[in-house]
Amino acid sequence: MFKSIMDWVDVRLPVTALIKSQATEYPTPKNLNYWWVFGSLALFCLIVMLMTGLFLAMHYKPDANLAFDAVEHIMRDVNYGWLLRYMHANGATFFFMAVYIHILRGMYYGSHRAPREILWWFGIIIFFLLMATAFMGYVLPWGQMSYWGAAVITNLMSAIPVVGEELVVWIWGGFAVGDPTLNRFFALHFLLPFVIFGVVIIHLWALHAVHSNNPDGIDIVDEHKDTIPFHPYITIKDLYSMGVFLLIYCAFVFFMPNFFLEPDNYIPANPMQTPAHIVPEWYFLPFYAILRSIDFLGSYSKLAGVIAMVAAIAILFILPFLDRSPVRSFRYRPLSRQLFWIFVIDCFLLGWVGYNPADATRFNGALPLIVVGRTCTAIYFGYFFLLWIITAFDIEKPQPVPKSL
Amino acid sequence: MDFMKFLKSVALAAAVILPQSALASSGGPALPEQTWNFQGIFGQFDQSALKRGARVTVEVCMACHSVKYIKFDSLKQLGFSEAEVIALAEAQSRNKKDRMLSPMDPVAAKDTFGVTPPDLSLITKARKGYEDYTYALLTGYLTDADRALVQKVMEDGALSDSELKELSSALGLDPHHPEKAKEILTRIQANENFNKYFPGHFLAMPQPLNDGAVTYPDGVESSLKQMSQDVVTFLAWAAEPTLMERKSLGVKVMLYLVLLTVMFYAVKRRIWAKVH
Repeated sequence: MFKSIMDWVDVRLPVTALIKSQATEYPTPKNLNYWWVFGSLALFCLIVMLMTGLFLAMHYKPDANLAFDAVEHIMRDVNYGWLLRYMHANGATFFFMAVYIHILRGMYYGSHRAPREILWWFGIIIFFLLMATAFMGYVLPWGQMSYWGAAVITNLMSAIPVVGEELVVWIWGGFAVGDPTLNRFFALHFLLPFVIFGVVIIHLWALHAVHSNNPDGIDIVDEHKDTIPFHPYITIKDLYSMGVFLLIYCAFVFFMPNFFLEPDNYIPANPMQTPAHIVPEWYFLPFYAILRSIDFLGSYSKLAGVIAMVAAIAILFILPFLDRSPVRSFRYRPLSRQLFWIFVIDCFLLGWVGYNPADATRFNGALPLIVVGRTCTAIYFGYFFLLWIITAFDIEKPQPVPKSL
Repeated sequence: MDFMKFLKSVALAAAVILPQSALASSGGPALPEQTWNFQGIFGQFDQSALKRGARVTVEVCMACHSVKYIKFDSLKQLGFSEAEVIALAEAQSRNKKDRMLSPMDPVAAKDTFGVTPPDLSLITKARKGYEDYTYALLTGYLTDADRALVQKVMEDGALSDSELKELSSALGLDPHHPEKAKEILTRIQANENFNKYFPGHFLAMPQPLNDGAVTYPDGVESSLKQMSQDVVTFLAWAAEPTLMERKSLGVKVMLYLVLLTVMFYAVKRRIWAKVH
């Protein structure tokens, strides 16, 4: 019965063939390690965010006078509303964790190198869209940090020469962050996840055209010997990883739901009162630190800071061409490997600097954090520069690479 | 290779330590840490503390503050009878279906105190330090001993190093800024409201709770500490009435996920045995 129905469908739309070639029998390298599960975990997060977000949207009111109360209405009166909201708020955190590990994995094993540049580029586009979506979502509860975070970040646009000032007013829909801003941010926050979903499909299309990289960073020579079918091998591995991931995620959702949230955001937005210390969400902190570290260019500081912040991510677009090594994977590249881990530590330090107030110091004022921030920013960009230097001028001598998996 | 190991361990340490040090560096005197029996995975609200706390909140705090997300009627969930709820509401000239709004007009309050008294519904979630902070604030006003110390120090007008040290430990003042300490002492003597834990130390609210401010029907002694504990417990409930539901569902979800994950792992081992 089922077979005859599927036969009928397959003649008209070859579903079975697609599932076979792109899912069940899709060949994957047999040596993928656990760093390769974060792509599917990120997709899982996207689905969780879409589902919880849809139901939150049914109870939320994008109105400056009602938004804060609407969130509390969800927390208190809507059946399992507290669960939806805490899953959504913490979901953003875990989405970014998965995405950051996914990006770093690509950087370490050379997954961005030829022939996977387009796959990589669509990944970065997803990352940009994700940041925009997360930023606008954070504004919706209309707490103090929502409001002032939105004010600080949108204000950065005013650094753009000539059109900056008018652009900010256009984005706000007024002369300050207000009700029109909240309305349009809600509309965009609802729309963008579906755009992300579309780009994810292109990302997967590109992946399935060139196939997965692997920890050795070498090409598949013998598909029969070197690959295993996606199902059941990768499906079960992804499912097991999802279990572990869910355990950590749910521990936060149920037992520490406010760990990643700022207390200030439980105070309703008040345009007349600036919080003592405005901080973005943790996933923006390294970039926020880079933005603030450019403070020595006088009236150009703001613009330069914005450029540096955008460049910190945009530089990933040219990463496939900066790395000139004949070997993809850092597993066989000792010098690159050391640079990579310094880069990772540097990102954490930038995050820490970003969390602290701009004028904070350590060691009784002997060490202004702005100096740490500038140094870390230099190291951040230095990583990409040095990676190019040591590979373009053959300074790094890669170790021998295996012939096959 | 050893340098690699070093780098990796630094990265791991950074991942663990930096978020915590970031959270710890809030500034101001350290809050006295309290144990709240509603905290932790299996923590429960103490019903009698909730009832006492609700009474203090209605009789004392609500003179100025509202708890707008809670209706008087909802207090029945804490074990109050219909008659008790009606009595509590009527004492505030409210109906039991009303939200717990203070009779004080916010505009008048601003005229009198210079600030609008914040709504207390979310107060334990809206301040760094959470419940500990609210408790510290309520108990952080000057004691008689503190006042005597201030009096003693101010008698000769000069501030010696030992006096400064004593003050900084008793009042939570910064020992590195004698000028600032002096200014604070002068303001204390001018009868401004000093609090050890309020950021900036001076606030519009005079000490709200004193020993015996409320008479508890259950016979528990209404000391300042006891009342503060009770009020904070009640406000923690008011900030998140679904707390118990969340935790009990959480335990079930975690047990289910552990089981599911172990099963996935077993199947994964089985399937991959052919590859390894």
